[in-house]
Amino acid sequence: MSRFDRYLWNAGAGLLALLWILPLLYAVWTAFHPAAYEADFTLTAPLTLENFGKAWQAAPFGRYFLNTFILVTGITAAQFVLCTLAAYGFARFRFPGRNILFSLVLLQLMVMPDILIVENYKIIRAFHLVDTLFAVALPYIASGFGVFLIRQTFMTVPRELDDAARIEGAGPLLTLWRVYVPLAKPTYLAYGLVSVSYHWNNFLWPLIVTNSVETRPVTVGLSVFATTDSGVEWSVINAATLMTSAPLLIAFLLFQRQFVQSFMRAGIK
Amino acid sequence: MFDTLFKGAATAAALALVTALPARAVDLQFYFPVAVGGGAANTIESLTDAYMKDHPDVKIDPIYAGSYQDTITKVITAARGGNPPQIAVALSVDMFTLLDDDLILPFDDYVKTDADKAWLDGFYPAFMENSQVDGKTWGIPFQRSTPVLYWNKAAFKAAGLDPNTPPATWQDMAAMGRKLTKTDANGNVTQWGVRIPTSGFPYWLFQGLVAENGGKLANAEGTETYFDSPEVIEALHYLVDLSSKDKVMEPGIVDWGATPKAFFEGHTAMMWTTTGNLTNVRKNAPFDFGVAMLPKHKMRGAPTGGGNFYLFKGSSPEQLSAAVDFIKWITAPEQSAQWTMATGYVAPRPATWDTPTMKEYAQEFPPVLVARDQLQYATAELSTHENQRVTQILNDALAAAITGQKTPEDALKDAQQKADAVLSAYR
Repeated sequence: MSRFDRYLWNAGAGLLALLWILPLLYAVWTAFHPAAYEADFTLTAPLTLENFGKAWQAAPFGRYFLNTFILVTGITAAQFVLCTLAAYGFARFRFPGRNILFSLVLLQLMVMPDILIVENYKIIRAFHLVDTLFAVALPYIASGFGVFLIRQTFMTVPRELDDAARIEGAGPLLTLWRVYVPLAKPTYLAYGLVSVSYHWNNFLWPLIVTNSVETRPVTVGLSVFATTDSGVEWSVINAATLMTSAPLLIAFLLFQRQFVQSFMRAGIK
Repeated sequence: MFDTLFKGAATAAALALVTALPARAVDLQFYFPVAVGGGAANTIESLTDAYMKDHPDVKIDPIYAGSYQDTITKVITAARGGNPPQIAVALSVDMFTLLDDDLILPFDDYVKTDADKAWLDGFYPAFMENSQVDGKTWGIPFQRSTPVLYWNKAAFKAAGLDPNTPPATWQDMAAMGRKLTKTDANGNVTQWGVRIPTSGFPYWLFQGLVAENGGKLANAEGTETYFDSPEVIEALHYLVDLSSKDKVMEPGIVDWGATPKAFFEGHTAMMWTTTGNLTNVRKNAPFDFGVAMLPKHKMRGAPTGGGNFYLFKGSSPEQLSAAVDFIKWITAPEQSAQWTMATGYVAPRPATWDTPTMKEYAQEFPPVLVARDQLQYATAELSTHENQRVTQILNDALAAAITGQKTPEDALKDAQQKADAVLSAYR
């Protein structure tokens, strides 16, 4: 690649990156400046944290954060356990109906979760779980995508390792724990990231199934500000948006290298 | 299997509840949206608290459900899932949707005494248009609005216009707009004459133009639209011409949410927006402003908008009569006055305007009366069966004409055909 080519590529990548980051930069600009500077980009504009104060006051964000945190850690942990066990079964055990069952699991990937909202709601109601965090998590715990992804990774583990563990006297569960899970770490990391960001941002289902501050995640809480009827207070909305997305952003910046690598290894694109 | 298990558990739980609470205890769930900024949700909660204090046998659980769109999604899902709220506030134009899904009950069964009837008759007729069909009342007006024209008196003065005279007619508005539009040395416009937002739900303000032109968008039964009638086409021509011929309005789709801001910052000298913005403008406009009725053409006209109370199927008779009693209470003059002052919504009953609280408020801030006085000319907001689809068809047509992809005639003719295809099933 000639030098010129490289410059061209870098310029192109830079331009795309700039386009991508503009909304975020705008959010940062408006959040840290008084409302008068929403469309006035004077570099000497006074900085302020007042918008964050206002946003924090306007809704119980502390509680919302706690809810979201419990929710995403709970969902991801439960998904890891369930999907690992199911994937192990599908990858390494022969049993009647295995292929049919696995195609049923794959079928779940084809169904948009939004279609099932009314049915899910009926089930949650029959369980008397409406307005609980558990209800927000329940429909997502048995994830077809997770089973598929982890199964594919387990299939690539050499049989010899499995056999060696067995010769050493390890049972199936110990083999899973000692051989398969450690080798699938990049997949877990990548899947965990996808799952956490999906559930951090999920809106429709939590909106429908939660009724109170004690159960609502940040996304639903954030919709408090999305009231366009009387004009939008961008500075306060963007302060709230930054607050709610900050944990994810910071986590991504911290673990950026690991994330990108694990994505490449796990082949999620 | 689970079903029987849980039915058993539910029965046990219900029995436990019945024995634990006083005999007449009634639980109500009340979903409501908030579409204006500020403490509207807190106002609703303090009102329900006040009601429960006076009625210890009723427990109301007010559930703030986000925007109108979020609320209706939540209500419909819960109702289809077998867990409807007893009361919800939703857009008045959602009446046909809720009826088609067979989710709501008419209020007529609970209006028996003469006092009840007087209550039901005490709402402005313009607001009841979107609330009644086939002789039954399905919605009770609550957070209702109508668009008005706001003008910047300082800008009028600077342009050599009388700061106390808003445009009275379409021609006036275009002519004044030309004087008010200012360009800088490079030919860029620094101040537009007028701003009629067209993003999101352009049909609403457009309906004002149609009404002023003596036209109608749909019939009262919600089965027929008149998108390609001459009055509607002419109204769209006027709207498009404001940008393309008169050059007094920013071309292209004009954002709704940013409109008050553009007004405060002097980017536009006049704006059309909801009266629900009144408190917002009063607080934030750094100049003297006026509020006027929408300018007339053949006649005066404006749509109404906003939300109604609905009563949902699937509740016990005790719950329903408690729910109606609560709705009566919250729409009574004193409570309604509190709500109007907190938000800027138009109090839906003349009686509210006669309370001392309201009179005092109007004396101190006369612009609140403009929306009320405009109600006599107001018409029902566009509402049909399959309302979301039909309004979307019209919105798309308006956007196509405003952005110049189609002529107003073509856009509206296409829209009428599509609307006919959707509505033919209901005729």
